[in-house]
Amino acid sequence: MTGSRAHSWVAHLRAGGTTPWLAWSDASPDPRAPGPLPGAQQLELLRRINLASSARPRGDHDRERTRLADRVLAAPAAGRGKADLPLVGLDAPGFGPRPVDPSELSAHELLRVASAVLADDLGALGPDPVRTTWARPWRLRFRLVGDPVVVGTLRADLLARGRPEGGPRPFVVAVGAPLDDLLARTWTQRCFETGTMPWPEWLRFWRGRDQLPPRADLLASVRRWNGRRPFVRIVTDLDLLPRQVGVRRLPEVRVPGADQAELARRVAAVVGLRVPAAERPALMRTLQQRIPASGVAPIGVPSRERDWVAASAERMSRGLSRAGYSVVGDLADLAPRTASAAGGSGGADDRQVLDLAIRMVVDTGWRAGGRRPHEVERQVEQ
Amino acid sequence: MSRRVLLHVGCPKTGTSYLQDVLFRNQATLREHDILYPADRFDAHFLAALDLMTLPWGGLETEAVGSWDRLSAEVRDWHGTSIISHEIFARATPTQVERALASLGDAEVHLVLSVRDLVRQIPAEWQENVKHRSHITYARFLETVRDPGRESKIGSWFWAVQEVPDILDRWGASLPAEHVHLVTVPPSGSDRGELWRRFSHTFGLDDLPLDLTAERENPSLGVPETSLLRTINQRVTSILSPPDYRPLVRELLAHQTLSRSVASARLGLAPDDHAWAQDLSRSWVALLAERGYDVAGSLDDLLGPDLGTFADPDTASAEVLLPPALDAIGALLVEAARLRAVEERLHEELREAHEERDRARMTTSYKVRRKVVTTLEDSPAGRGTLDAYRRMRGRG
Repeated sequence: MTGSRAHSWVAHLRAGGTTPWLAWSDASPDPRAPGPLPGAQQLELLRRINLASSARPRGDHDRERTRLADRVLAAPAAGRGKADLPLVGLDAPGFGPRPVDPSELSAHELLRVASAVLADDLGALGPDPVRTTWARPWRLRFRLVGDPVVVGTLRADLLARGRPEGGPRPFVVAVGAPLDDLLARTWTQRCFETGTMPWPEWLRFWRGRDQLPPRADLLASVRRWNGRRPFVRIVTDLDLLPRQVGVRRLPEVRVPGADQAELARRVAAVVGLRVPAAERPALMRTLQQRIPASGVAPIGVPSRERDWVAASAERMSRGLSRAGYSVVGDLADLAPRTASAAGGSGGADDRQVLDLAIRMVVDTGWRAGGRRPHEVERQVEQ
Repeated sequence: MSRRVLLHVGCPKTGTSYLQDVLFRNQATLREHDILYPADRFDAHFLAALDLMTLPWGGLETEAVGSWDRLSAEVRDWHGTSIISHEIFARATPTQVERALASLGDAEVHLVLSVRDLVRQIPAEWQENVKHRSHITYARFLETVRDPGRESKIGSWFWAVQEVPDILDRWGASLPAEHVHLVTVPPSGSDRGELWRRFSHTFGLDDLPLDLTAERENPSLGVPETSLLRTINQRVTSILSPPDYRPLVRELLAHQTLSRSVASARLGLAPDDHAWAQDLSRSWVALLAERGYDVAGSLDDLLGPDLGTFADPDTASAEVLLPPALDAIGALLVEAARLRAVEERLHEELREAHEERDRARMTTSYKVRRKVVTTLEDSPAGRGTLDAYRRMRGRG
């Protein structure tokens, strides 16, 4: 069988077609000069994107759709996995990777391409501006450490309200949470910053060292800022947090779902190759603010890690207690929650992540200028 | 406009580190002879390859942003011959190859592929995997490599950078055969300068006054040393991040310590694997001979050495592992002592800085000003006053 059937299928997909490769028999020549055949990963992702967008009206969208198709077909399968795979049923030279039926490719393979497309989308969108206003001279001086998802949201909100962090003799306010949540949110936030290793490996890394990651270790965080006892507050009751930073109310905090975090992790790896290191945090922050809601629960610590997490929480509580810092709430609240222990790896399913990625490629609402999604994600349990 | 580009795309473990080191150190001499090797750092072309292929590499990729475009722009602007060389270009997909060749402008592109027999490449690639954090056993690695589905990352990577006909199809499809140059690695025991002579001839470097001192090589390890490293990886790779692994394990242990044991048995293939590798190589040699590429050396070099004594690294006994393990402990202790000295020096500098600061704070006027500031900071009105004062003094 010749490559003309494959090129004809590529033309079909570029035009928004959704026929699977094995059901495709047309071999009419492609009027475009046929370049190298894209890999099965790119072609199948495009077909899935076409399927997802087939409900949308055509007409004006045609040119946009072709442009998107060309970007998908040219996108690399990011990472050190399989290179572009050939299609089954074509003349094979007897060497090279084994040809595949694209519809049988795993979600993981398709995600490698989708994350590259989304990283380019994010780069083209650029970072959202940081909202700031003049710093209130009478503001309380504080330094936020601890739960990175909560702290990140609060820091941005307080900056926008003229209450930036820092200043002379600040109170070090350590925001605590049950340690399993704290670990999960630390990994989640890393995904929306520089990216990191997969959730199970990340947990194994810290458990293997019997250490806590710097931001989840409240005692180490306070010491890093040279917090002296009268100027340190350990906050485990989030209702009482506003007063510690000199305001009456604080915004709701969205904790990204497991699929959102995993997608961000993959996108961050590609963004790292697309923009200078200094620009990546702002782009990833923009993604965090704009990523569409999916209703998937945040990542959870697997039950097999519970003993280690419980022992670490106990050790941290002991250390904080011995240091004599003021506690707003109860140090017992740092203990992991029995009910939240997750089975399996506690991470997202690749298919959920792929669904979200395809939705973001097809529905460009999240890239609409200046606006942020209004969907309210799961709230931080208080 | 560049007249000629020599694009060296692989393969790994074919003496590329030495070649790239010579090219990097002799950039000025090469320029005097109208040859450009554009690199502001030794790994510049490695970074360009990561960028071209969107390959994360343990965090190093963040230093690669835009490096392919910069490299290709320099090549386009050069009037003479340019050389681009890195072995991981071998992995590029047809789409990436098309982009790479298009970005070199209208220069005459010559593809160079240095190749070595599979009988030596397979063990060398396993060692390379072990030096890059893997703890896969040799037996499992061979199974992975021989899996026709190439399902694992290791298998797909191995063939992407070692399957010579496929690499040539991806990179050479649009080039005339006479612009494709194969440099074969001479058989074991050949004169040490023979590989360089083949490279030099292919790259047109003969008779240039180059400094050929070997400053940077990628040394191989013996059987017990590789086995030890794999065992160490089993313990540490899940708890040691790549930025720590690279200097401590790969550089200090593998390259600087364990590779010194030149008397250790070298790794080869078991009889069954040896026969399979040679059969595959024969089919490649026949195919390459038909294509009429320019060959520096002989295609017969690709058949590899005859079957030798096989020392299995998966069954290395504790007794065999002990000497390299002691060497490793010794090297790590010396390194720990060096780092302790650095730490001590930094503490000393910090102590001196603190003492200096404390002396400055001993004055009465400082104490009075400090008291005023701390009193004011305890109330919102006081903080506002201080803020206004600081703005007025330009310290805001």
